[in-house]
Amino acid sequence: MIVAEQKSLEEIRRMIAPYPRVLILGCGTCMTVCNAGGESEVSFLHNSLRLAEVRSGDGIHTFTEHTVKRQCDPEFLETLSEKTIDVDVILSLGCGIGVQAIAEYLGDIPVLPGVNTSFMGMTKESGVWDERCAACGECRLEDTGGICPITRCTKGILNGPCAGSKNGKCEANKDVDCAWILIYKRLERLQQLDKMRRYYSPRNFRAIPRPRRILSKVEIATGESDG
Amino acid sequence: MNLTNTSHPGIHQEDASDHSLIPPCQNACPLHMDIREYVSLVSQGRIMEALQVIRMGNPFPSICAYVCTHPCEESCRRAQVDKPIAIRSLKRFAVEFGGDRMIRTEAETKYSDKVAIVGSGPAGLACAYYVKKIGYPVTILEAHSDLGGMLRVGIPQYRLPREVLDTEIQRLTHMGVEIRTNTRVVSLDLLFELGYKAIFITIGAHQSLRLGIEGEESPGVIDGATFLREVNLGIKPSLGRRVMVAGGGNVAIDAARTAVRLGVKHVSIFYRRTRSEMPADPQELEQALEEGVKIKYLSTPVRIDRENDRLKMTCVRMELGEPDESGRRRPVPIKGSEFTKEFDSLIVAIGQAPQTPSDFGVRIGRGSTIQVDPSTLTTNRTGVFAGGDAVTGPATVTEALAAGRLAASRIDDYLQHRYPLPVKETNEKLSGELLPKTIEMIRKIERSEPLSLVGETRVKDFETVEQVYGWEAAINEARRCLRCGVGVEILFQDKCATCLTCLRVCPYHVPRLDNTGNINIPADQCQACGICVAECPAKAIVLRKPFDRRQVSEELTHTIKLATESKNKPPIIGFCCQYGLFGTGTLSRLWRGAKAGVTIVPVLCVAKVEANHLLSAFETGAEGVFIAGCGEQCARENTTYWVKQRVEKVRKVLRSIGIEPERLQVFTLGTAVADPTEELDRFIEQISALRLSSVIKEEAIS
Ligand SMILES: Cc1cc2nc3c(=O)[nH]c(=O)nc-3n(C[C@H](O)[C@H](O)[C@H](O)COP(=O)(O)OP(=O)(O)OC[C@H]3O[C@@H](n4cnc5c(N)ncnc54)[C@H](O)[C@@H]3O)c2cc1C
Ligand code: SF4
Ligand code: SF4
Ligand code: SF4
Repeated sequence: MIVAEQKSLEEIRRMIAPYPRVLILGCGTCMTVCNAGGESEVSFLHNSLRLAEVRSGDGIHTFTEHTVKRQCDPEFLETLSEKTIDVDVILSLGCGIGVQAIAEYLGDIPVLPGVNTSFMGMTKESGVWDERCAACGECRLEDTGGICPITRCTKGILNGPCAGSKNGKCEANKDVDCAWILIYKRLERLQQLDKMRRYYSPRNFRAIPRPRRILSKVEIATGESDG
Repeated sequence: MNLTNTSHPGIHQEDASDHSLIPPCQNACPLHMDIREYVSLVSQGRIMEALQVIRMGNPFPSICAYVCTHPCEESCRRAQVDKPIAIRSLKRFAVEFGGDRMIRTEAETKYSDKVAIVGSGPAGLACAYYVKKIGYPVTILEAHSDLGGMLRVGIPQYRLPREVLDTEIQRLTHMGVEIRTNTRVVSLDLLFELGYKAIFITIGAHQSLRLGIEGEESPGVIDGATFLREVNLGIKPSLGRRVMVAGGGNVAIDAARTAVRLGVKHVSIFYRRTRSEMPADPQELEQALEEGVKIKYLSTPVRIDRENDRLKMTCVRMELGEPDESGRRRPVPIKGSEFTKEFDSLIVAIGQAPQTPSDFGVRIGRGSTIQVDPSTLTTNRTGVFAGGDAVTGPATVTEALAAGRLAASRIDDYLQHRYPLPVKETNEKLSGELLPKTIEMIRKIERSEPLSLVGETRVKDFETVEQVYGWEAAINEARRCLRCGVGVEILFQDKCATCLTCLRVCPYHVPRLDNTGNINIPADQCQACGICVAECPAKAIVLRKPFDRRQVSEELTHTIKLATESKNKPPIIGFCCQYGLFGTGTLSRLWRGAKAGVTIVPVLCVAKVEANHLLSAFETGAEGVFIAGCGEQCARENTTYWVKQRVEKVRKVLRSIGIEPERLQVFTLGTAVADPTEELDRFIEQISALRLSSVIKEEAIS
């Protein structure tokens, strides 16, 4: 799941300042799960912004709110046209993908990001989320006992642990487990410690051809499909 | 300011239908009373409203408050946790403290068709009450000199003070019910000739069953019903020093305890089975033992010889054999176990049957009961209805009341030539036991019983044994109710993101992930704390009752409206729990507006106050906002924890827009500082200081 964090109220207020009529738009999928932009957060932000307006005494804004099931698919955005008739800006509480999907879908209205899309991760406990995957495009979890060194090791090294590993913790942050110790322990349990004895050559992340696209269908020449 | 959009711009208010389930207590009650509702009102100290709810479901609550056999308590789900809610005692509390005696009932006569009621037991009285309320002239015909049936001549006074009965009867007279006592009806034809268009037969079951043993006709042998009637009518039968009571039901116990009160030194009950088969109410039995009544199980008299003015009883010991048709094990005499004992009298209390005059011309069925259609209470004769003990055999007061109420509406249908409409129950019944993991998390709170007179004092006279609760005890007892069936549901499955927040925050482990990957909140486990409603990021969860759904928002809107109208903005708004002591007891001054400048938004548990509500309170211009909850004394788990989470979330917003976060506070009972009123005083001072400093600041700027 994609995990994000709502931007500070100050930043949001600065962004919306030029636009009097704001639609706060939530997303019913990942942003709901990570508590950054579901229906409940939309209405909390709405109330917070209104309170800020009332208190500053110079409010020019009016707010409306709406939440779609998923901002990153245009079909879910069809309902937006009627919601945006009297709107000067959309403050999206979707992740970065959602913001872009809306911008692509509604050419004439500016879209503002209300959250900082942070990482791909999982819920540790209610209200706590941890990063787990960097979307490197070349998954090595087979070799590392199902623990990703790229996201979980502060340095992202492929042949760890480094000399800074101490008592199972990372030298950069004593509260964080050393990913490579975790990998070691897990491989030991799986009786696959031989995987620790191999050398993994470095990868050049800069070489990732951006933007990436995945095709899960093949091109079929016209005419062929009819027969 | 846009009031409609104050706190919940969202869906919560839209759906107005009631999805609550009928709790087992209500389901077990023959009158189907809304027990959960009035218990909840008692727990908020709203006694008059509790009484209103009670009166809606029961024509004579004061009577039931004393003598109901409380099948509701037998089904109460709290018993799965510790002990059932003391429902009957709470009703008695509501009746006495709510001023039931003062309530007057009016009725208008709208129709001319006259209705006759034969017999004035609870079934007859209830029928008269409702028939009269609907608008028919009604006459009660009673064989005895006083009204009430078994309430008058059966149930002893120490369990039902006669003033209570008299008050109810006065109400009926006040409504215009015509009463003819000393009138034994022998033929229904005569009543039809007198112009009555419908007749309700409620003659009870007054014929005592006999042991059928040799010597039963001897002087000194009396049946239980007759004995109690004589005592109740003021005759004091002389019983001698040693009395045997044969039987194991409530009548036997009542007879024994009455004998004790008449001064009999040795009273022994002989019962042919064991204690576990005994139909008598365990509490009554306990009280009889306290009063010195002896009980001999597995024994029964088989022969009576009268010698020298005394009864020589030959008894036999029994053992339990195969179960009989009632499901209880049949007592079988043990050969050669005979023994004799001497008594001065014997009271036979082994049951009663109805005795219907044959001239009534109604069909009689098993056990001499009158045969009726159970849903219309019609007999084989047109215009003749029957109900109560006469139809069921000896039963209970509430069953009789329910029959009377049903008869009234059926008689109305009949007289209006309407096809009887089936009673429709729209809401589902709650079924299912509490799971061990739910039970484990429910706080165990001891059931508190109202005081009783001590054994030695009470046997001296017919003073009421059970006393009424005090204010605090009643409220604390009412707070034990689990509010079965009013919890939450995922009303908008399509919105649920399956984020599992509800599953993780629920203190009772209620929400469940099913094997299709959907979240379910089983109604039979939910404790209605409301935590998940406020925490669900998709706003997919709602409380089942529309009232509960809207309560906080509506109260807040109301407060804001008042403030806007009075142009006198409340400097401080407090969300204050209504349950228990905050609502009613020592801390009630917190919300009674006793503190200048403090406006209270009453809430039913602070866990239902959402972060948005707090923001809205500030938006009205409040200088300070607080939440006051029961803390450790809350009947639900983790409520304070979640309140504090929300408060911190709101404080972050306040900080970022330049409002001092200290302007938002939480006060709870049972925390380090004993008296939250002191904390509140300090808070008020602090807020005025903040106001002063901001005024100075503003003046300095201008
Ligand atoms: C000792 C005792 C204790 C009890 N304790 C409890 C208790 O604690 N809780 C509880 O719920 N239930 C109790 N019951 C049962 C309860 O009292 C009865 O179930 C209930 O009273 C039945 O009501 P009813 O209206 O059908 O008949 P009844 O109350 O029996 O009333 C019938 C009336 O009809 C009158 N009548 C009979 N024939 C005629 C006629 N031909 N013409 C005119 N009038 C006539 C009778 O005089 C009587 O007044 C007790 C019963 C007894 C005997
Ligand atoms: S706990 Fe309350 S609602 Fe549930 S059965 Fe008992 S009295 Fe009824
Ligand atoms: S908290 Fe709400 S969105 Fe999350 S699983 Fe429960 S019902 Fe669904
Ligand atoms: S209302 Fe309370 S008890 Fe019921 S499911 Fe939600 S959190 Fe659990």
